[in-house]
Amino acid sequence: MINTSTFLCILRRSIVAGAVVAAAVVGPASANKDPVTPKQLKLYQEAFMEEVRKGDLLFHGDAAMKEQLGVKLSTTGWACAMCHPMASDTHPQAFPKFQASMAKFATLRDMINWCIEKPSQGEKIDPESEAMKALEAYITWSNSGSVLVPGKY
Amino acid sequence: MSDELDRIRREMHAVLQQPGVRPDDSLQITRRTFIHRSLLFGAASVGQTFAWWPLLNTIDVAHAAEAPFKFAWISDTHLYERSLNTRFVDKVVRAVQEVQAMDPPADFLIFGGDLAQLGKIEELELGVELLKDLTIKKYYIPGEHDWYLDMGQKWGELFGQPNWTFDHKGVRFIGLDTVSRGPDYWTAKKMTPEERMGHMATLDGTVAGAWAGVGRDQLDWMQKTLADWDKSKPIVIFSHNPLYEYYPPWNFWVRDWREVNDVLKPYTKVTNIHGHVHQVLYNEIGSMRSIGMLATSWPWPYAPEGLPKLTKPMIRVDPGDPFDGVGWETVNVNADDKVDVEYIMWGRKEVFVQSPEDHDKSIAEVIRSRIADKQYPWANP
Repeated sequence: MINTSTFLCILRRSIVAGAVVAAAVVGPASANKDPVTPKQLKLYQEAFMEEVRKGDLLFHGDAAMKEQLGVKLSTTGWACAMCHPMASDTHPQAFPKFQASMAKFATLRDMINWCIEKPSQGEKIDPESEAMKALEAYITWSNSGSVLVPGKY
Repeated sequence: MSDELDRIRREMHAVLQQPGVRPDDSLQITRRTFIHRSLLFGAASVGQTFAWWPLLNTIDVAHAAEAPFKFAWISDTHLYERSLNTRFVDKVVRAVQEVQAMDPPADFLIFGGDLAQLGKIEELELGVELLKDLTIKKYYIPGEHDWYLDMGQKWGELFGQPNWTFDHKGVRFIGLDTVSRGPDYWTAKKMTPEERMGHMATLDGTVAGAWAGVGRDQLDWMQKTLADWDKSKPIVIFSHNPLYEYYPPWNFWVRDWREVNDVLKPYTKVTNIHGHVHQVLYNEIGSMRSIGMLATSWPWPYAPEGLPKLTKPMIRVDPGDPFDGVGWETVNVNADDKVDVEYIMWGRKEVFVQSPEDHDKSIAEVIRSRIADKQYPWANP
């Protein structure tokens, strides 16, 4: 017969095991219920900065990164940074807005694709692709001192 | 970065913008110049100043030429090979045709650097071929894009000495090389010529650093060149980079602007005309006026900080039109003591902003320097 302390021990292990499984399945939702650790913060920041780094390389026309992410951002030698050094004049803080050059209400991702297709004469990229997220990460990171002014011309 | 820039800027103002020091006080101040000057005093916020700027496409600079004449300026064509990029070729062809069609013709053309994009032989030769249709006398100064693949070898074969001087109708002209004396960032890191060029060709790159400068040897040459020139006679100096400090992270400066000022200080009628910035730019520093020229290739945005207060900004361009925000210039040197720079911006009647919203800085931005080229293998130890 199982005694009380053994039962409690099994119960405790089951709860821990269940929590581990649940954390693996549910992931970030559960992670947010625990106090964040410095180690976790570092990992989250590194994950973000890795995307910024990739976006920086794409933005500056790095051939290896374009190939790695399977994108053709220009066919003329052009790179985003040629009109937007340090991602200036990209104005991520002003999106979404009515974009006169597209004659529609647009997001930053719409604008990125418009620039790839028109001035850069490249091939539009999937708005959900890693390349798009990396470009968005770099552009927003570079402008992270700016104040949000959505809708501003 | 801002703190360091602020420090440099404060020093520049203390050295170059002392009370009572400005270009050529003895000459007439035109209405346009006067309006520009007035912006220095009082609270010149963006909103207030726009309302005061008149509708003008020219900048007046005072001079005393023996006889009126005009010359043309083309720069920053950034040519790739023809098979890769035809838009840049089309724009050079257009500029050449328009300069050739000037009536009366220009006395000469100044090409202000960055003929090529990546310094390749094919790119430089394409530039020569396209400019061949222009039959007036041509003078060339180099840009960094022309230089750092083979350290100026091909450029020298095509155009000769990068710095030069000549006199024309009472004006002494000087061409400077502000690109070839960049500190060596490539040897220790064992870069290939293509890698060296790639870093140099990235305006916002951090690896090539503050490469723009005149250099002590060339300053001595300029001093010697000017030694026999009357202090009150006009001098026009061409350079790829501006000869003052506007925005060092993009090399919108020369790092030895103090020494440049020392050499030019005794001369009262100095005008510097420069490329590199791909934008309308005007400043007065010490006894010199400085005028920035348009590219034919593409416009750079104004730097996030440091735009000279005397600059009336150019209009915000349409990125969907390859011919917008770019073009070439004529410079009229008149007998009535004026030099008139006219910006020929294709597709635009109004070169300058007409309202705050027309300025590319109407959306305030705070931006950071890039990171990817600060990491291995380009990181500094």
